[in-house]
Amino acid sequence: MVFSSVLFLFRFLPVFFICYYVAPGRMKNFILLLGSLFFYAWGEPVYVLLMLFSTLSDYVHGRLIEKYRGGGRAKLFLVSSVLINLLVLCFFKYADFLIQTVNVLFGTSIPPLNLPLPIGISFYTFQTMSYTIDVYRGEAEVQRNLLDFGVFVTMFPQLIAGPIVKYRDVEERLHNRSVDICTVSCGMKRFCVGLAKKVLIANNIGELWSEISGMNLGEISALTAWLGILAFAFQIYFDFSGYSDMAIGLGKMMGFYFPENFNYPYISASVTEFWRRWHISLGSWFREYVYIPLGGNRKGLPRQLVNIFIVWMLTGIWHGAGWNFLLWGLWFAFFLSLEKLFLGKILSGLPRAAGILYNSLLVLVGWVLFALETPEQIWGYLKAMAGAGGVLDSQGLYLGRQYIVLFALAAVAATPLFTRLVKQLEHSGTGLGIGVYRLGEKVIPVILLILAVAGIVDASYNPFLYFRF
Amino acid sequence: MGEKINAFITVMLLSVFILIFTAADVTEEDKVFSETENRLLASRPEFSVESLVRGSFTQDYETYVTDQFVSRDKWISIKTRMDVLLQKQEIGGVYLGKDGYLLEQHLPESYPQATIEKRLELLERLVEDWNADVMLVPTADNILTDKLPGNAPYFQQRVFLEEAEKRVGREHYVDAFSALKEHSREEIYYRTDHHWTSLGAYYGYLAWADFTGERSYPYDTDAMVLASTDFLGTLHSKINLEWESDSIYYFGETAEMPVTVTYDLQKTAHSLYEESYLNTKNKYGFFLDDNHALVEINTGNQTGKTLFIIKDSYANCFVPLLLPHYDTVYMLDLRYYNGRLYQLLEQYATEADILVLYNCIHFLEDFVYA
Repeated sequence: MVFSSVLFLFRFLPVFFICYYVAPGRMKNFILLLGSLFFYAWGEPVYVLLMLFSTLSDYVHGRLIEKYRGGGRAKLFLVSSVLINLLVLCFFKYADFLIQTVNVLFGTSIPPLNLPLPIGISFYTFQTMSYTIDVYRGEAEVQRNLLDFGVFVTMFPQLIAGPIVKYRDVEERLHNRSVDICTVSCGMKRFCVGLAKKVLIANNIGELWSEISGMNLGEISALTAWLGILAFAFQIYFDFSGYSDMAIGLGKMMGFYFPENFNYPYISASVTEFWRRWHISLGSWFREYVYIPLGGNRKGLPRQLVNIFIVWMLTGIWHGAGWNFLLWGLWFAFFLSLEKLFLGKILSGLPRAAGILYNSLLVLVGWVLFALETPEQIWGYLKAMAGAGGVLDSQGLYLGRQYIVLFALAAVAATPLFTRLVKQLEHSGTGLGIGVYRLGEKVIPVILLILAVAGIVDASYNPFLYFRF
Repeated sequence: MGEKINAFITVMLLSVFILIFTAADVTEEDKVFSETENRLLASRPEFSVESLVRGSFTQDYETYVTDQFVSRDKWISIKTRMDVLLQKQEIGGVYLGKDGYLLEQHLPESYPQATIEKRLELLERLVEDWNADVMLVPTADNILTDKLPGNAPYFQQRVFLEEAEKRVGREHYVDAFSALKEHSREEIYYRTDHHWTSLGAYYGYLAWADFTGERSYPYDTDAMVLASTDFLGTLHSKINLEWESDSIYYFGETAEMPVTVTYDLQKTAHSLYEESYLNTKNKYGFFLDDNHALVEINTGNQTGKTLFIIKDSYANCFVPLLLPHYDTVYMLDLRYYNGRLYQLLEQYATEADILVLYNCIHFLEDFVYA
């Protein structure tokens, strides 16, 4: 099930929340679990069993690690848990990629498995792994209640698209949380903003990318190519951050406080900064469970660079089972290393605008690697951006004209401008400022919701880019 | 305390919105057909364990719920209005042109050389086999180019037509393009519909008369009869916005001719114009009762000549103008005919003038010859 659908908004949501709010304290987790399983099974009637298996497996592993704490067997169970998770993930997500690679390298022709990818598998396997690792490290208490653990793994707000929630982030609130009218209001508003970001901006500007990426790349002008990749950059940001907003909002409505996942990444003045603002929960997961165990930056500079390369290769490949994703990760690893070595110092001496330009160019080129799959397409697109098909043409001018207002809107919405304005009004102290704020905070979410519903009904097809993860 | 009240209001507003629409949607009866979209709306899918496991049940159920969502048309028009606010000049495949003109978008990449090749080859064969004449009519985006949004892409039909003329031969080709281009400042296409107007058809008729060497009948363009003033055509349906309506005119002279029209060998009428359509959305159906596979028109003239015209709906307002020149006219719409064209021609057209009349786009999309 997708958040941005009539089915979710006008069937699942009202029914779920009525049941949830009415249910007595202890029953709430049960309702949440039931609702989440229904939510997931709706999209994956068969693979829901896989997720249940994953849940059960790590619940058991957690108990076993606790039971044999201090002994060698605890470590064994930790390894077993991680292995099972990785195996499941690799099998369902990377099997065909591995098969293809083997075929290319060794000239074999093993047929691909063509397994459909279970929704959310990259998210929930990472979440359950964080649990067993944290239990082993003693950073989280084992969860003896299978129901509560099940809620942690399967709860629908962040199940299919994150943020990746570490167990200890919700440990306390799993069995002890409360909401008041303010948090519910806050959560609802956040949800509406996320929905609007996805439907009104991402889906809309995604049409431009869709159109341009389908063209003959050898013939498009530089203008068209740049418009296209800019459109993709906005689409993926508003899609993904919008989904995170909705997840955080829904969580808040139940008393959960999920970590922020995006912090206006496109205003970053360096690649280092970009990765502190983009998909924060994933970066945090890799830092905690891969980068730091590998030694982080505590084993000297050369080792740090190696660690960076490893982590970013994994980050890249996490996003998709393809060589272009690996390349995308390496692209950033390279510049992160440069920044660690000397570039970072240079950038901090320059005006911020220079850094933003620098980062934006690198990120845009990165998106070309991310969005296109074959080397021919990638190279073709980069050449087009450099002007191989001409600099301007009527097609580029026409497309630019059609989307100029949307681009302007997206550009402003990608900065903290709106948020700052809202905060200013809220704390303005003057009657007018507060009045505008009070009116806006009630009326704007409804308007956004109405417009988003219009967008949803209008489109029959409503993809979410990070959906198959 | 103020905080709580504010929060309460926000929560109430949003909850009420969701709950009202949920209730309205659940209690409303399912619709079968959407007039605005001109298609069947999804109905409740049948449940089976097999379809559930396959995932098709949930997918179909979602489509069903979205298709049947309460006030669907209103929501779509809100989205369209948003697009207009975003200064988009193309919505749903329709250009929002100047002077209130809606122009159907035909992108060059939709008509690759291979398709053109294929269709022209079939046309060539038809012309060779049957000594047929060809009249391909350009669509509005090619004639009213000044009404298009700046730099708007469109499939260049002039180039295509030059190719067509070469292939079928000058002696078989009626140049509608030049005739319409000459009168591009006049109301030769509807503003809300993809068809040409009766006036446009008239200039096409003049080109035809010029080509065949026939003396054109003295239709009076200043005395056309007004059939309707609130025609909102196919293009308006695509965009679903408030728009200024078109007027439908026809030549009164054609209504005075004594005719017997037989539709699909069954229904007969004694008029070329079906007034009942003027009360529906599809007012263009007024011309020759909208779409039929085979239409036979007997005029009672003593010209000794028969016309067999293979056509699309552009011919519906054009054929009435040809009637003074023929005793009998057969109109064939290949989209609704299931048999082989060759056989039908053998049956009806061995002694007839044969004319292929299509607008360029429909020709490239629909024409077959077997």
